[in-house]
Amino acid sequence: MEKLTNALAARFASPTRSTRLTVVLGRWLGLSFTICFLTGLFSHGLQEPPSWMFFPTSPVWIYQLTQGIHVTTGIAAIPLLLAKLWSVYPELLKWPPVKSVAHGLERASIALFIASSLLQLTTGLINTYKWYPWPFPFRQTHYWLAWVIWGSLLLHIAVKLPLIIEHWRTRSGTAAGASAPVTDDGGAPQEPGRWSRRAFLAAVGVTTGAVVLTTAGQSFSWLDPFNLFAPRKMGTGPQAVPVNRTAADAKVADLAGAKDWTLTVSYQDTNRSLSLAELLALPQYEHELPIACVEGWSQTAIWRGVRIRDLVAFVGAPPSSSLRVTSLEPEGAYRTMDMPATYAQDERTLVALELNGQTLDLDHGYPARIIAPGRPGVLQTKWLNTVEVL
Amino acid sequence: MKPEMPTKAEKTAGAGNAVKILRIVLGAAGAALIGYGLLGLPTQLGPPQLLGLLVWMAVAVLLHDGVIVPVSTVAGGGLTRLGSGLRPASAAVLRGALMTGVVVTVIAGILLKAQSVARNTSALEGDYAAHLLWFWVVLAGLAAVLAYGIERTGPGRGEREQKTRP
Ligand code: HEM
Repeated sequence: MEKLTNALAARFASPTRSTRLTVVLGRWLGLSFTICFLTGLFSHGLQEPPSWMFFPTSPVWIYQLTQGIHVTTGIAAIPLLLAKLWSVYPELLKWPPVKSVAHGLERASIALFIASSLLQLTTGLINTYKWYPWPFPFRQTHYWLAWVIWGSLLLHIAVKLPLIIEHWRTRSGTAAGASAPVTDDGGAPQEPGRWSRRAFLAAVGVTTGAVVLTTAGQSFSWLDPFNLFAPRKMGTGPQAVPVNRTAADAKVADLAGAKDWTLTVSYQDTNRSLSLAELLALPQYEHELPIACVEGWSQTAIWRGVRIRDLVAFVGAPPSSSLRVTSLEPEGAYRTMDMPATYAQDERTLVALELNGQTLDLDHGYPARIIAPGRPGVLQTKWLNTVEVL
Repeated sequence: MKPEMPTKAEKTAGAGNAVKILRIVLGAAGAALIGYGLLGLPTQLGPPQLLGLLVWMAVAVLLHDGVIVPVSTVAGGGLTRLGSGLRPASAAVLRGALMTGVVVTVIAGILLKAQSVARNTSALEGDYAAHLLWFWVVLAGLAAVLAYGIERTGPGRGEREQKTRP
């Protein structure tokens, strides 16, 4: 067996591989995983707030930025992870597979790290395509695996720390340029046709740049011209704003189109129902706010409507109240939405009636929808039915 | 899972101790977070879903270790033979272009597959196959121009210059 694995290892040997290469790739990957972890926790906190959660409303594009970074960095991590794993592949073939209890535990933790990272990146990407071919719930799995992955990263750094320190800098003296035919620090002479460590790293950098450049336009408007492979394109959809859940998907077309539609606002024993005409008769405000989806895409637009804080005052509730908002949607995870007081008080949080200068399209939530600064798109409830002051 | 093995670094007393403490702290924190995540999973996923997750993770590893790496190794060997007549720099350009093209193609391929099964018409509206074709045209063009430029410059010149740099 040992002979076989040695022969295999020889087959997979490449002078491009070295500890230094692995350390450089590990730095990039560790940074990208950390960015994903932190921005992901922020997204989680906005959706399932713990009691101490803070809700930034300025800048209004805060969530657009953090979730755009989350998905873009996650995509960038795909080539980085592949390169990192390639650089350590011969480790997999070492024999015996387990030398001691500690060694066995270390390998088990690595296996968990690799498996969960591969799964996280693939399912994360495919989830943004609105395709869910797996037998487990995406969001919950993604959330708990994030802890496993980031914990594994720390543990992995702890185990490898001496090697990481030793190879953090190129060792002076043996530093070699990309095309230098001299011995690199891996100690391997460059054979004709092979590439050096630096050329390999440059290629990984270019690949990462290419996947970022061709997808990040869904989150960052200045990259829109290069948006070739993102599931969303800015400026598309009705009224030049993309739609995630259409009225047909949500089965609300009839209810939302009804002539006698009213928005009910309630606080304790006070109940006020407002027709669309009555809402339009209230003072109207206009704000430029982004709609920023959990899937990373976003779109800034001009919204016009009634301030939600005016409706809170309308039923005689204190300004620092939090709200429960219900959609006309008969079912769905986002039918009801809780709005912390921070948003309810913010003067830019609207019950929007118009989008980009036109009456709200049915797919954008006609007759009325919520738009608040800095919140995930799934919480910008469409086709409003009731607003309850809690 | 505790860090073990005495190392060279540890022999240089002071710094060695700092590294040791850092390793213990990082290792313990890491193990705690892993435990938190692993214990959290079954609070929201039922047994069939956990099993499904396990299967997906195993398949991901098998696909990666059993298919992706071996295939790219074989492809790399082919490139080594093909590129041995070229200068290292232009051989590297061709390898790099292929790496970029393959990764982008895999991502676009998944996108195309998703497009074919998507029920929602408001997402995935691009003509991704055409985009992919254009991507390859531009990539191949750039790589060819670069490689050609490198081959054209005098033999060994670039290398000698680099070697004398500090
Ligand atoms: C190591 C890599 C990653 C980590 C640690 C990570 C972590 C997280 C966390 C903690 C959340 C919050 C989940 C929740 O709301 O409960 C999240 C959300 C999300 N992540 Fe990631 N993520 C990673 C990679 C990716 C990648 C590669 C993509 C896609 C390309 C992605 C797409 C998403 C999406 C779409 C959400 C929103 C889910 C929702 O709210 O429905 N993630 N991520």
